[in-house]
Amino acid sequence: MDCSTAKSKLFPYVDGELTPELRDQLEAHLARCGTCRRLVDLEVAFRETYVDRLRPDPAPEPVREQVVTLLRELGQGRRASRRQRQLKRLVVCVGAAFLVAVGLSAGIALQSYVGTRTTLAELAIAAVEQHQKLVRDLLPPDIKNVSPKVAEEWFKKRLAFNVSLPDLRTERLHFLGGRISHLREVEVAALEYQVDGNNVSLFIIPEDAYRQLRLKDKPRFKVVSHRGYDVVIWRSQGAGYTLVSEIGDRACLMCHAPEEKLEPLPRPSAHL
Amino acid sequence: MDSGTEFQDAVYKYLNPLYNYALVLARQDAEDLLQESIARAWEAFHRFDRSQSFKPWIFTIMRNVQIDRLRRRRLQPSEEPLGYQKEAEPVVSLENPLCSIPLAPEDILLRRETVEQVREAIRHLPPLLREIVELRDIEGLSYREIATIVSRPVGTVMSRLYRGRNLLRTYLVEPRERPGEKEIGVRNDGL
Repeated sequence: MDCSTAKSKLFPYVDGELTPELRDQLEAHLARCGTCRRLVDLEVAFRETYVDRLRPDPAPEPVREQVVTLLRELGQGRRASRRQRQLKRLVVCVGAAFLVAVGLSAGIALQSYVGTRTTLAELAIAAVEQHQKLVRDLLPPDIKNVSPKVAEEWFKKRLAFNVSLPDLRTERLHFLGGRISHLREVEVAALEYQVDGNNVSLFIIPEDAYRQLRLKDKPRFKVVSHRGYDVVIWRSQGAGYTLVSEIGDRACLMCHAPEEKLEPLPRPSAHL
Repeated sequence: MDSGTEFQDAVYKYLNPLYNYALVLARQDAEDLLQESIARAWEAFHRFDRSQSFKPWIFTIMRNVQIDRLRRRRLQPSEEPLGYQKEAEPVVSLENPLCSIPLAPEDILLRRETVEQVREAIRHLPPLLREIVELRDIEGLSYREIATIVSRPVGTVMSRLYRGRNLLRTYLVEPRERPGEKEIGVRNDGL
């Protein structure tokens, strides 16, 4: 090995990244070349003086607190999901026993019912988790300070399904912004609104994902209650919609003018 | 220990490196990137191979999250979360060596720079070179781990590391060569 080659391998040598064969060749060269050996010594001294003492920038205390909060929320979400899975297993076991008792056709119907409820529940839990993160600014908007129409165009260029944002039919409703997010690993449009000063999140999901919920057509609006939030799920214009709020029927202002007479939302089909 | 506790312990252990890497990838948006990356890693943790190291695994996720964020904002698919303009990079491998090292660290040692001055000089490196120098010299990751994180061959990592370290030494010997904050500010990290 000549000096030029030896110098070119100095960094990987000091980094401990040379193969044993190359390392042996280099060390054989260093044993007989004082100039290269001095370069290695200087490089090692440079590492010991500076590089080994470099540390990553510490996370400031507010960032640490945010992470603690996030991890706690993520943990709660997983525990809730685990409880759901345990509940699902229990219900499926009961259903299986029922299958034996009343026959195959009744069993199939029950399994379908159980499966639908569980999937709907998982969507509702995920939507509430996302809503909380949006409200707490843990998930920043991709687009804000624009009209719903501008935001709609923005999403249509980025998502491969029909994203149709409701018009603002009352001054009590304000569009805050939106982002592309994920609900149960499905890419969705996540929209933030305020109704009478209350935060409301609207998630628009692909129709395929909505179909996989296997929901019945009626009632049109499915309502689930989770951790004090009302989650309303429906289908419209080739997409699924999931609305999360704490204001009950007032959230209907998202799509309807105040003067419209509407039937009250159905009572929650599940409290999770 | 359940997986939730295991994940939390790992995040707390590596919180400073995670925050630091978020600063490298998205200086003005580091806190959001950190949060989103932790959330994404949490979702994927059941697929984490326990025989591998946690730090490069979650660094890879963070880099991918940043790529996704830039892709959403720009509508321009990019594999470089730092928005660095692609340029011809020398092909380097252990068998195809670079030219000799131009700057011996002797002058720097004689100047008795402080560790913080070296740290500050690293912050002024061009984004892609800084990323590799940080991952190697501050985070202590191997060439192969870095190559996995940045989705580039080991030779590219060696090339960037070589150029980054030499530029760093230029900055330390000749601080006037260092670009100012304003110039760094236009690094176009997409935010």
